[in-house]
Amino acid sequence: MIKLKINNKPIEVPEGTSILEAAGKLGIEIPTMCHLEGNEHFTSCMVCLVKDAKTDKLLPSCSIPAAEGMELITDDEVCRESRKAALELLLSEHVGDCEAPCQLVCPAHMNIPLMNRLIAAGNSEKAIEVVKRDIALPAILGRICPAPCEAGCRRKQADEPVSICLLKGFVADEELLGKKTETSVQKTGKKLAIIGAGPAGLAAAFYLNRYGHSVSIYEKNEKAGGDILKIQEEVLPKEVLNAEIDSILNSEIEILFNSGINFEKYQQLKSEFDAVVIATGNTPELAKQWGLQASANGIQINKETYQTSEEKVFAIGNALRPSKLAVRSVGQGKELAQIVDSFFRTDQLNGLHKRFNSKFGKLRQLEVAEYLKESNKTDRLQPGKGKAKGFTKEEAIAEATRCLHCDCRNIESCKLRNLSDEFGAVQKRFQYDERISFQKKFSTQNIIFEPSKCIKCGICVRITQQHQETFGFSFIGRGFDVRVGVPFNETVEKGLEKTAAIVAEKCPTGALAKIDTEEQL
Amino acid sequence: MTEENKNIILLTDEIIAEKGNTKKALIPILQAIQDEFNYLPEESLRRLADITAITPADITGVASFYHQFRMQPVGEHMIKICIGTACHVKGAMQVYDAFKRHFNFKDGNITSEDGKYTLDKVSCLGCCTLAPVVQIDDVTYGHVTTDMIETVIHDFESQAGKTGKKKAFRKKGESEFQGEIRIGLGSCCVASGSDDVKKEIEESVVGTGINVQLKHVGCVGMCHQVPLVEVIDENKQSKLYAKVKPQEVRQIIDTHFKPDSLFKRVTNKAYKLLEKVQTDEVWEPVERYSIDVRDEMVSNFLDRQIPIATEHRGIINPLDIEEYKRNDGFQALAEALKLEDEQIIQKVKESGLRGRGGAGFLTGMKWELTKNEAGDKRYLICNGDEGDPGAFMDRMLLESYPYRVIEGMLIAAKAVQADEGYFYIRAEYPLAVNRIRQALINCREQNFLGDNILGFGFSFDIQIYEGAGAFVCGEETALIASIEGNRGFPRVRPPFPAKKGLWGQPTLINNTETFSMVPYIFKEGENQFNQIGTNDSKGTKVFSLAGKVNRGGLIEVPMGITIREIVEEIGGGVQNGKKFKAVQVGGPSGGCIPAELYDTPIDYQSLIEVGAMMGSGGLVVLDETDCMVDIARYFLSFTQDESCGKCTFCRVGTKRMLDILNRITEGTGTKKDLEELKYLADWTQKGSLCNLGKSAPNPIITTLKYFYEEYEAHIEGCCPAGKCAGLIEYSINDECIGCTKCAQKCPVDAIKFEPHKKHEINTELCIKCDACRQVCPVDAVIVR
Repeated sequence: MIKLKINNKPIEVPEGTSILEAAGKLGIEIPTMCHLEGNEHFTSCMVCLVKDAKTDKLLPSCSIPAAEGMELITDDEVCRESRKAALELLLSEHVGDCEAPCQLVCPAHMNIPLMNRLIAAGNSEKAIEVVKRDIALPAILGRICPAPCEAGCRRKQADEPVSICLLKGFVADEELLGKKTETSVQKTGKKLAIIGAGPAGLAAAFYLNRYGHSVSIYEKNEKAGGDILKIQEEVLPKEVLNAEIDSILNSEIEILFNSGINFEKYQQLKSEFDAVVIATGNTPELAKQWGLQASANGIQINKETYQTSEEKVFAIGNALRPSKLAVRSVGQGKELAQIVDSFFRTDQLNGLHKRFNSKFGKLRQLEVAEYLKESNKTDRLQPGKGKAKGFTKEEAIAEATRCLHCDCRNIESCKLRNLSDEFGAVQKRFQYDERISFQKKFSTQNIIFEPSKCIKCGICVRITQQHQETFGFSFIGRGFDVRVGVPFNETVEKGLEKTAAIVAEKCPTGALAKIDTEEQL
Repeated sequence: MTEENKNIILLTDEIIAEKGNTKKALIPILQAIQDEFNYLPEESLRRLADITAITPADITGVASFYHQFRMQPVGEHMIKICIGTACHVKGAMQVYDAFKRHFNFKDGNITSEDGKYTLDKVSCLGCCTLAPVVQIDDVTYGHVTTDMIETVIHDFESQAGKTGKKKAFRKKGESEFQGEIRIGLGSCCVASGSDDVKKEIEESVVGTGINVQLKHVGCVGMCHQVPLVEVIDENKQSKLYAKVKPQEVRQIIDTHFKPDSLFKRVTNKAYKLLEKVQTDEVWEPVERYSIDVRDEMVSNFLDRQIPIATEHRGIINPLDIEEYKRNDGFQALAEALKLEDEQIIQKVKESGLRGRGGAGFLTGMKWELTKNEAGDKRYLICNGDEGDPGAFMDRMLLESYPYRVIEGMLIAAKAVQADEGYFYIRAEYPLAVNRIRQALINCREQNFLGDNILGFGFSFDIQIYEGAGAFVCGEETALIASIEGNRGFPRVRPPFPAKKGLWGQPTLINNTETFSMVPYIFKEGENQFNQIGTNDSKGTKVFSLAGKVNRGGLIEVPMGITIREIVEEIGGGVQNGKKFKAVQVGGPSGGCIPAELYDTPIDYQSLIEVGAMMGSGGLVVLDETDCMVDIARYFLSFTQDESCGKCTFCRVGTKRMLDILNRITEGTGTKKDLEELKYLADWTQKGSLCNLGKSAPNPIITTLKYFYEEYEAHIEGCCPAGKCAGLIEYSINDECIGCTKCAQKCPVDAIKFEPHKKHEINTELCIKCDACRQVCPVDAVIVR
């Protein structure tokens, strides 16, 4: 047995145990991407470096055997910086998107590609569930939103963007027709007052209620909807508007109409509720009277947390600045709910974590064809019955299949993404050179190979070799230009006759994935 | 199946039948396939996969890893432009560009339209003293300049198909022995034309009745004077002739030797007179080239040197085993065979010998570790994969002293009880491979190799493994992977090869030079050896001295000698009266030592202290016209190209550092780039898997440390040395005499042809090829 210390904790391991495994026994997790359990080490990714406390040298923990008397540090500043540096180098040549450009550009950060795929599969029920993770008023927004997402849609490089907005409206309508109501959750006992029942206030109420907090909305008018009420009937039929708002204002959310708030009432709300949310529309003067810091544009907040100059008072929507973009207000309602919920649970007020996203921007001309490989080649559809009525189911399915699947299939499991997120790696840092081209290679074994996402860890090379594939995968070339591919330019199918499933499962990034995988359902 | 494919399959089958059908034989098989077809046809590789156990993944992985292998057919003749360090600082890239212009190559195309020539860069041909060097097939041209392209190609084409006249050299003993002519046949000598000189000598003495012995000797070391001819006349007087041209041979012979009859003498003279009249070639009397060993220049070059690895240089014929034996060869082996293994190791330990491959691990210790490991079998490898651009020591040792290296290996094999040995030799060194191959045959004939060597009950044999073009295979674990038929990926140590090496067995790997030091220790004693050198660096070190130095060549000096002594005394100072700026030590793993550290002693520790390392021993002298940022960029482009691609820091880190250096030398760099360069250099050093990656940033780190202001100048838009094309401009000053030479040479018509007028350069058109400056007789072309 070999005795050593890792992060000052002593441990004994049998000879031949790697540092990585020894640390694992102590419950110390060291990140790694190229390591394949039960396989000889390869030492490629270099995110597993640990520090030898005696020499200050960095050792790849996956490959170096634990030795007698070693004293190792796995998580100090130097180790973390080494991981960040390795990740940034890998990211500098990583051509792929985690989330799709449309989702990144959507102010409410809606998972558009997933919705599209669910619609295409005829699963409207699941699709609306996905939509409602981010958008509380999809039927309304499906008609009035200027759709910044469509400006970001890659499909427009081929012809016209996917009709995302109408698709969202379609699934929302399907749900409204079904009159499905929110299932109630257990109450947390926390109480919030929301001032104003416009898009921001309604969205905040919707999500806060979902988290189990008790919500009371104070609306000065006799109807909920705020500015949305001003929209013309031809664009937004009243029945849709009313149905959607009613579905939010279910029995669990209390709404008090004709309840304008004056200073005294505001003070009272502050004392009676755990938090107050100002969603009054653009009324900076009022806010000033209440003693909140505000500019001529609107209430000043901490941009991370929506917190105003008063501790338990938050502000969202047009109260911050005048805007015609309802989807932004709706998005803020959702974000605020998440922030406040976490505040109630942890007693710590933190902004939302912006998760790492790999991006590579506009497609090159040849890449458009790569993306079109997995989509319907037809033109953008117009709803036969007009925009206000929206798509029929057949139309929606046809339109949804125009989506190019820009988002990564391994969006949740990707180690490169998760570690980049954890260590704060910046993708652009070392991107000095032109990027390589994006390719999508499909095989009939339900596998898609996107070589530009490969980090050259060689796991697939090792697996195919182990299983004695006829062709398998191989390293081709060397140095920076090394790539992984099937020998003799054979197809992915030929390379993975036996190992398709296991290779896709073990790939640490999204370079090799199952075509039909959905990690965010 | 087409006729052509049938033929490919047939020939492939033959190759496999000869080389074997296991993975171990993969690289030799691929080498043979390429020899046959001039590239690796896919049909052939598929056949290989079909009929052997070698998988397509192995074949593709290996074939695409090594630079030697080509997947596409190339032209009939290969033009290889050496871009080693010495060639680089002497303008190799401009020569490369000139060839590209000559053939009008565009968009990465490198084969001429008629399929006759393919242009390629090669990392180092090891002829550094003749820089810049160009090789067309097996003909080497030295000192090539941008305006010589047509001449070179013309010369090559006029040579093609021309076979030398039949050798008619007389054997010793036919008549009274009159003397000896020694001619160097190291690669430098051959490249400088010693083969032609040799032929001329053979032809000159035919029919004259002169009986001299023409002797091939290995590298003399004075590579700056090649081809060298040494004449020993009947009175044993020696005379050395430098830079001998074939047409001068007759006169040299005439000076020393008399034909055996008056008639022959007369006809000989008459013929010579006739020849002189008929050719309009004017040449200086050969005396000008005659140098005497007692001359100060020569004695300076030789006096500071101590030949251990290069003992008997210029005297013995590399392949003459009898002569080696007459000069105490194999005596060390005889001594060692009498000793116990432990005693051998003890002696080597006490000698203080450290590995000459770069890192400087104690040799005796390495032997002991290997010996003490349990294993079914033990291997011994001689690392002759000298890949550093600007280094040619191993090549010289293998070419010139094959028996000494073999003797060293035999002693080591005995000590660690190895019974199988390998010579791993770089593919770019065909002459070394041939010499070693012959030397091994000769050794077997005399039972220096084989079973029960010299009756001592010890058996050992050596085979040659030719590298296939990968610098990283100089790293011992990568070298082992390569012999095993894999991609040359290094792996983490421990375990060290001493414990788990070739085929998983204990393996001793030493550098060529290390082995060549060993016989001395047994012949002269460990104490004799450890009295040479410094406290922690014992013995001598062989260096290849090249670059901007007057007398370049192969030198062997005691450890502890200073850089100044090497450059000024042995090397005769910087060329053309320029100022010494720095010396690059240790190639891509080493660093640049500046003028203020001129007195740094050369030993393992001192070099590390100044940020360089011994490396394998290349010394490239740089003068004031060399741009240090360009030098750093040059080395990074080398290591980036040679990175195996296994670990992130080396694979991507070297690329990103190169990107930054490209920006800086192109004039688009920023202050922020300098910070990022430091950051990447630091992490690539700390985080890389093997020593190639760990040491790759050294050229950057040392130049940042000693020449930071040059980096800053580039960022401000100026290259102080006038090297970086993106930052300089060519112009012509008032000295211009209107001779039009520059206008005639300009490949892009940027200079208008106006006789007797001051010329001007159109900077819009100028491609900065430097041709005008080189040709200007009055130095009127200015670079700013």
